[in-house]
Amino acid sequence: MKVQTSFIIKEYLRPEMLPSTWCGGCGLGIIMGAIAQAVHFKGLDKDNVAMVSGIGCTGRMSGYMDFNTIHTTHGRAPAFATGLKMARPEMTVLTVMGDGDAMSIGGNHLIHAMRRNIGMVAIVVNNSVYGLTGGQTSPTTPIGGHTTTAQSGSFERPMNLEALARTAGAAFYARATVNHTAALTKLIERALDVSGFALVEIISNCHVLFGKMNQMAEASKMIAAMDEDTQRTNPTLLRRADLPIRLTSPESPSAPVHELTEMEDVEDESRTWRGVMFERKGSVDLSKRYYDMLGKIHAQQRAAEEAN
Amino acid sequence: MAQVTPGIYEVQVDKNYCKACGLCVAWCPQDVLADDDEGYPFAPHLEKCINCKLCERHCPDFAIEIIAPSEVLVIEDILAEGA
Repeated sequence: MKVQTSFIIKEYLRPEMLPSTWCGGCGLGIIMGAIAQAVHFKGLDKDNVAMVSGIGCTGRMSGYMDFNTIHTTHGRAPAFATGLKMARPEMTVLTVMGDGDAMSIGGNHLIHAMRRNIGMVAIVVNNSVYGLTGGQTSPTTPIGGHTTTAQSGSFERPMNLEALARTAGAAFYARATVNHTAALTKLIERALDVSGFALVEIISNCHVLFGKMNQMAEASKMIAAMDEDTQRTNPTLLRRADLPIRLTSPESPSAPVHELTEMEDVEDESRTWRGVMFERKGSVDLSKRYYDMLGKIHAQQRAAEEAN
Repeated sequence: MAQVTPGIYEVQVDKNYCKACGLCVAWCPQDVLADDDEGYPFAPHLEKCINCKLCERHCPDFAIEIIAPSEVLVIEDILAEGA
């Protein structure tokens, strides 16, 4: 299913701002279209959707989309979005960040937004490099990836955002790529359903800076490589990986992941998973819990006044 | 599922938006599209188009659109009628 391009431009974008300043072939435009489609298929009123973005190539997205938009300071998009969600809990808040914005400069804010489980959809566009400032090594540059500041290959370990989200207490985590556009729209739609902090990591391309230094100078080549570098999540394997975490009683038959016997006809591969990584059932948004608590306190006060 | 009839669709490229990145040409499964001298896409084999919209989905700049003739029902119209 697909919404007509002309319809997206008319309804969800600001045509006077187009064409975007992004390089030709940048995946950010594909992500922008996917967000517009997800909001359309969810049937959300665009006046009731807010988009908060930080600094970076991704930060420009709030200028092109016709929602209520804030373009905030570097890395502080989750902080601004927290305030917005607490003041206007009926709003759907979309926070758009790049990998440097979310994980290095705004790492604190991201962790605490996840810890509070504040209701927003955080979209982290991961292109493995600081794109706007000239292709420096970012927290997600893979080992051996050549960048401007790592000419002979990066030797730092890249950050595992999935493990961080799981530990910090996010409600939902999914990984998508700009190659698999239908899945991208579906995963953003699923994230919009979640009550609580839903994080969608989107693997995007920077063929101009990262691709040029890693033998993938064409956008089509770099996006096509995502199909070879990633694989869809296997729900059975994910359930098995969850086993030791879910069964907490010491008598229960749990086993560490590495001791589980390998499944037949499932190859042990090092490719990145894409799809829904985890979803915490029964998660409740912080703003909802706060206003419920406030309602109870007010009811108690009224009851006390009436008793007097 | 609507019947697919190749050859009744039109490709519209907005050169004000297009940045000639080549993604639509790379993704076209029927080889409908090709690059012209400046790198912009055009459709030399329009009769093969099956309206899969992979070019629309992968266009980062909203520059390409497949136009179905008005008598062909679009999925959105079917959904709107059902709703």
